[in-house]
Amino acid sequence: MERPHKAHHKPSAGSKAAKKDAAKDIDRTGGKNFNPKAFTSSSFRSAERAARRTADKDQKRLHVPLVNRNPEERKVTIEKGKGMDEGRLPPPPIIVGIVGPPGVGKSTLLRSLVRRYTKHNLQEPNGPITVVSGKTRRITFVECGNDLNSMIDLGKVVDLETFEFLNILQSHGFPKVLGLLTHLDLIKKAQTLKDTKKRLKHRFWTEIYQGAKLFSLSGVLNGRYPDTEINLLSRFISVMKFRPLVFRNAHPHLLVDRLQDLTPREQLRENPKMDRTITLYGYMRGPNLPARNAKVHIPGAGDLEVREAEMLADPCPLPTLESERRRKMGEKAKLIHAPMSDVGGVMYDKDAVYINVPGSFTRGSDALQGEGERMVMDLQDASKTFGEGIQNSEIRLLGTSTAPLQLQRTRRRAEPRNGGPILGTASDDEDDDQFTDEEVYSAEGVPMNDESEEEGGDADFAGSDSDNDLAHVTSFVQDGPRLDLPDDGILSEDDAPKWKADLSQKASAQLADRLGRRRDLASLIYGSDLSPEEIAAGKTRSSADDAESSRMAREDDEFFQVKTPARVSTQADEDFDVEDDFDALEATWTDPAMLESIRSMFITGPSDNVDAEGDAYEEEGSDFEDLEGAEGEDGDVPYIGVQPSKEVDHATARADALERKKKALEAKFDTEYDESDEENKIDFYDAQKAEMARQRALNEEEFAGMSNEARALIEGHRAGAYVRLEIDNVPCELVEHFNPRYPIIVGGLLNAEERFGYVTIRIKRHRWFTRTLKTNDPLIFSIGWRRFQSLPVYHLDDHSIRNRMLKYTPEHMHCYATFYGPVSAPNTGLCAFNNLTGENPGFRISANGVVLDIDRSTKIVKKLKLTGIPYKIFKNTAFIKDMFNSALEVAKFEGANIRTVSGIRGQIKKALSKPDGAYRATFEDKILMSDIVFLRAWYAIEPKQLYNPVTSLLSADKDNWKGMRLTGQIRRDEGIDTPLDANSKYRAVERSTRRFNPLKVPRKLEASLPYASKTKALSKQTKPTYMQSRAVVLDSEEKKAVALLQQIQALRKDKVARRSDKKEEKRKEHRKEMAKIEVQRGDKFRAERKEKMRKEGMKRKAQEAAAENGGGKRRK
Amino acid sequence: MAIQGEIFPDKGKGRSTSAAQEILRFSSHRFLRQRLVLCILSGRSIRVDNIRPDDVHVGLRDYEINLLRLVERITNGSTIDISVTGTSFVLHPGILPGGRHTHTCHLGRSIGYYLELLVPLAPFCKKPLTVTLHGITGSVNTDLTVDSIRTVTLPHLHMFGIEDMELKIIKRGSAPLGGGEITFSSPIVRHLKTIQVVDPGKIGKLRGIAYSTRVSPQFANRMVEAARGILNTFVPDTYLYTDVFKGEESGKSPGFGITLVAQSSTYTLHSAESSSATSRIPEEVGVRAARLLLKEVQSGGCVDSRHQWLVLLFMALGKEDVGKCLFGQLTSNTVQFMRDMQASLGVRFRITDAGSNLLLLSCLGVGYSNVNKRVD
Repeated sequence: MERPHKAHHKPSAGSKAAKKDAAKDIDRTGGKNFNPKAFTSSSFRSAERAARRTADKDQKRLHVPLVNRNPEERKVTIEKGKGMDEGRLPPPPIIVGIVGPPGVGKSTLLRSLVRRYTKHNLQEPNGPITVVSGKTRRITFVECGNDLNSMIDLGKVVDLETFEFLNILQSHGFPKVLGLLTHLDLIKKAQTLKDTKKRLKHRFWTEIYQGAKLFSLSGVLNGRYPDTEINLLSRFISVMKFRPLVFRNAHPHLLVDRLQDLTPREQLRENPKMDRTITLYGYMRGPNLPARNAKVHIPGAGDLEVREAEMLADPCPLPTLESERRRKMGEKAKLIHAPMSDVGGVMYDKDAVYINVPGSFTRGSDALQGEGERMVMDLQDASKTFGEGIQNSEIRLLGTSTAPLQLQRTRRRAEPRNGGPILGTASDDEDDDQFTDEEVYSAEGVPMNDESEEEGGDADFAGSDSDNDLAHVTSFVQDGPRLDLPDDGILSEDDAPKWKADLSQKASAQLADRLGRRRDLASLIYGSDLSPEEIAAGKTRSSADDAESSRMAREDDEFFQVKTPARVSTQADEDFDVEDDFDALEATWTDPAMLESIRSMFITGPSDNVDAEGDAYEEEGSDFEDLEGAEGEDGDVPYIGVQPSKEVDHATARADALERKKKALEAKFDTEYDESDEENKIDFYDAQKAEMARQRALNEEEFAGMSNEARALIEGHRAGAYVRLEIDNVPCELVEHFNPRYPIIVGGLLNAEERFGYVTIRIKRHRWFTRTLKTNDPLIFSIGWRRFQSLPVYHLDDHSIRNRMLKYTPEHMHCYATFYGPVSAPNTGLCAFNNLTGENPGFRISANGVVLDIDRSTKIVKKLKLTGIPYKIFKNTAFIKDMFNSALEVAKFEGANIRTVSGIRGQIKKALSKPDGAYRATFEDKILMSDIVFLRAWYAIEPKQLYNPVTSLLSADKDNWKGMRLTGQIRRDEGIDTPLDANSKYRAVERSTRRFNPLKVPRKLEASLPYASKTKALSKQTKPTYMQSRAVVLDSEEKKAVALLQQIQALRKDKVARRSDKKEEKRKEHRKEMAKIEVQRGDKFRAERKEKMRKEGMKRKAQEAAAENGGGKRRK
Repeated sequence: MAIQGEIFPDKGKGRSTSAAQEILRFSSHRFLRQRLVLCILSGRSIRVDNIRPDDVHVGLRDYEINLLRLVERITNGSTIDISVTGTSFVLHPGILPGGRHTHTCHLGRSIGYYLELLVPLAPFCKKPLTVTLHGITGSVNTDLTVDSIRTVTLPHLHMFGIEDMELKIIKRGSAPLGGGEITFSSPIVRHLKTIQVVDPGKIGKLRGIAYSTRVSPQFANRMVEAARGILNTFVPDTYLYTDVFKGEESGKSPGFGITLVAQSSTYTLHSAESSSATSRIPEEVGVRAARLLLKEVQSGGCVDSRHQWLVLLFMALGKEDVGKCLFGQLTSNTVQFMRDMQASLGVRFRITDAGSNLLLLSCLGVGYSNVNKRVD
């Protein structure tokens, strides 16, 4: 019964086989390549369809090109290890927010995902958790609690998740969303399960887009979801592509994964409520954050200034080339960084590191402690921080050294300003600060950066600092850290008119001197006290008497008190360097050598390049349009000062030039003829993308060679860097009420965003929000990073003439709103809330909108009608009173249009002297004394200046932030009656009937009028007329006819009556039937309602029971 | 403009946030215009102290007050407090609404002095700006003439994508009495282009304008001839125009001057000018301008030395991309401006030596966008 085993078949298809083939260089196509002709259709119809399809696909591909400010992801090529460009900064981890109502299993999901990626079982996931998900990607998971503040904040940073959240996302930029259905195992019936899934799926699709991914997770095993399902989900997460969002692209931000309080303990003990100094850690995202004095906003805490940002070593780095030679990611590379959670029993809190010792443990209760336990206890008992310990410790370079190494804080102040070289050392306070910070940093026990270690090392002896680093990269710094410059003649000598002798020599000598000297201009400008004139004149060190008083005033400015009256008066008002020595000018520029020296700068001058051969001049219109192109072609910058052309090289140079010229011509020909098709193919879209890619490459390469510190000074911290932000003057409540469950986000502010002004937005009440919004009711806005309460005034454009105030927002229409608050750039999306607390059921987003305009004043008006009454009427002129109170007021309105109720238009002419505020007005017709005259005016409204930031992170009860209340709410809360003005009461309107007097025309006038104009009214006839008084006698024929007519009519009447009776009978029957049906229907409805209420009651009971249980958040 | 005696209270302007912006402090009367520009663009309040404390005429000069008035006119919501002695002032900047304005400049400075403030601000207004200025169109001290602004300053902005700025000289007026009138109009932009200008090219064109008011029209020709005598040896493509204003349009004082512009094959510009303020003889003025131009050309780079600060400012205000530009020797004005820019905008430049006295300055833009501009 032995059956031979099936032989192993080597795979002959698939990716593995293809790779092997590629490695062995085997071509299995058999020389037959793809034959496009074989698959074309002969039918013009299908060809047209195909063409349409390709055109559709082409257009679908197009999006508005956006620059991605985050670094690009690494690319891992098929060849092992290659393409893992480690020198570059990897992109920051993707933030995956897990959002949902309480009890749906967010924590379970998070635990499952973390377990999937790192094999760690987290007991209690807290705060952001960063894991390495693959060779190219890292993911930060954040669980979002069910409070609106957290949702808003997270919505602004998450890349990838109750419908309220989706609406927040919509207004702040829509990230990718993956839907997850849990608790599906509770549905037992297969058909119901299927139906539910389908229903939920379609509901989800209407919110996101058709075909959005929706996962379902079944059941919980070991406190986690099944591994296979999690695997599937993680695969989807790892291949997600993201499109940069405009707002995030313009604002640097980070999700804080660790917070530390640096305030000295002693000061805290003295004043526990003092402002704190804290450090925040996280991965930078978006554009670069300035290294110093960056303005940031922490939603929920307020505007703060980052004293210093510092780049740290990546705590969760991607695998390196060395460690990852294999295809699969090594176990060691699967790192997790979750400082707020208890990974491996260690947890970082705001001001301490906790070590989780298993077993029951109460401090100081039992004397019997093990050695290790005691050590830990001792650690906790430390009176000083580790940093202080380091500061006090002494390091001896050698065992036999007598004095310990010291950090010289005040070294620069101590240095003599005159004698010592300034080149390497920068001398302002900022640098001092930075230096001490470095110290603190290394003392904290945070993983240390290589660079910073080195920095700390050579700081001792070389006195170098970041500025010096900057100098190193600017490529023209001197070699050693200290190069004492000899104070030689040329620089120290005055600008006295000694120049007249051999000028050109001197010029060249100066040039050579300058080149040889290699001043480090950047450190002179940014790091020295030299006056601008001295720097421009080429000096490298200041002399005391030259100190200039125009430098920016600082506190330690005593140095600048030296008075230089002579200079001030001569250089009085010129911003530019004055050229007043005309003799010198003449002497210089009549010197033939000098003139010859600049000849190469003109196209007629000696050539060092073929382009300068005179061609450039003729063709400049076409050839030199593209600066970048020219640069690329020439390779080097064509003009490099004076190049001495030697006779020997002349022939070769000529030949060279000729060849280059030929090539240029050839290239020109090519571009004009050959590649014209291709040229046309590059449309606007592709050109834009290419331009972006080019600029991106340029951005990366420009500062590539510099050290991180020097780079940070110039361009700030880039996205992807793990940074530590040191922030002063933080409200103590942020630290005291810190809770890792509530995410902290640091959002960078742009220059304009710190200013205040009136912001005009286009706003629409959310269709699910049940109430209308009222002008001047406080509303909580979420714009940019900020959340704040303000008082909006709603308005609408009135015929493009004015903005009319609205009392309420329109029902289903956009309107404008203007409020006072911090400015954000136009086109920024926003959403608004009436209430952020979780108490009120229903939909809490009250409106969405977008910022339109920013200004310092507003032009919103509301209609104001002034009424007056005439007290004297002439022909078309009338005197009006009771509209104004004084002649001044009238003067303001002279020439204004007025109108009577009956529609007679008029104009205000002039104030009258006697009754105050009365005026003369003319009308188009004579008005009546009973007419009311009114003036339609517009009254300017200015929104009230309220800006109340939602400081939810500062409160102990973060879910229930209380803002400004409505007047009605205050009255309700305080039990105050609404004041009622007697004049505002409604009264019955009494309208006396108007009696019109008959028109009396004087008899004389009547007589003289022409007939047409005479009054036509005649009085009523009082006597009976002939028609009424005559008698009618019928003859026999007529009588017969009348009788017949009467009979016919009687018959018809009877017929109609009988018919209607019959109809009525039928109707009665029908009514009876309908009544029956109605009764049945009512019964059914009542039964349904009863069932519904029963269910509702059960649900409520269950909720109450759950609430009573309290902490039991979710069912296990 | 309120005059206050006391130390100015730092008006918080209703700020309730913890990091209320501190006031930037500057000292000395010099570089006033640059600091005003930075103040308005960055939106940070400034305080300038020590304005000629030891001078015979203590404090701000009339033309500086006039400049502050111009600032007040073109902004909405600015407050300027000047101390009683005039040695210090505080400016809380407002926003730039744009629109039409008319301003009479002080006769102590030329219109160019005031225009140099307007040019960098104009693209960032809410609506296109049109300003009519009355005063001296020629140069006083070292101020740029309106010809320089028109032919050099405005073309320098082309590389940043601002193309349609326009300057019309309606009347010319020389120092001391002026009487000139110009209209400056500018479009608005949302963003500035990032520049990479590293190729200075070779000078291929020379252009110039010789103007004269209330003197013999021959004066302009004489200046042209003199300048041509020097410049023709370098570039044959030299066209110097004469612009003689007569009658009503020639202002109230006699005067003449010449502005020369050198354009390279890569459209970089260098300019120089000279006027009757330095000499009464037209030939001398022409020759002097030509020599100054040669000197300017020798200093090299892709930017005219008197416009270095403008180019640096617009580079710093660009998108968050790296901009590069080749400069000749930096002037003292530029150096101070770089320091001020670091203080107000937080931008720092990388300076690389490009050989033969040239410097390559590169920086990362701050991503400045015209937030004033309305969207609909």
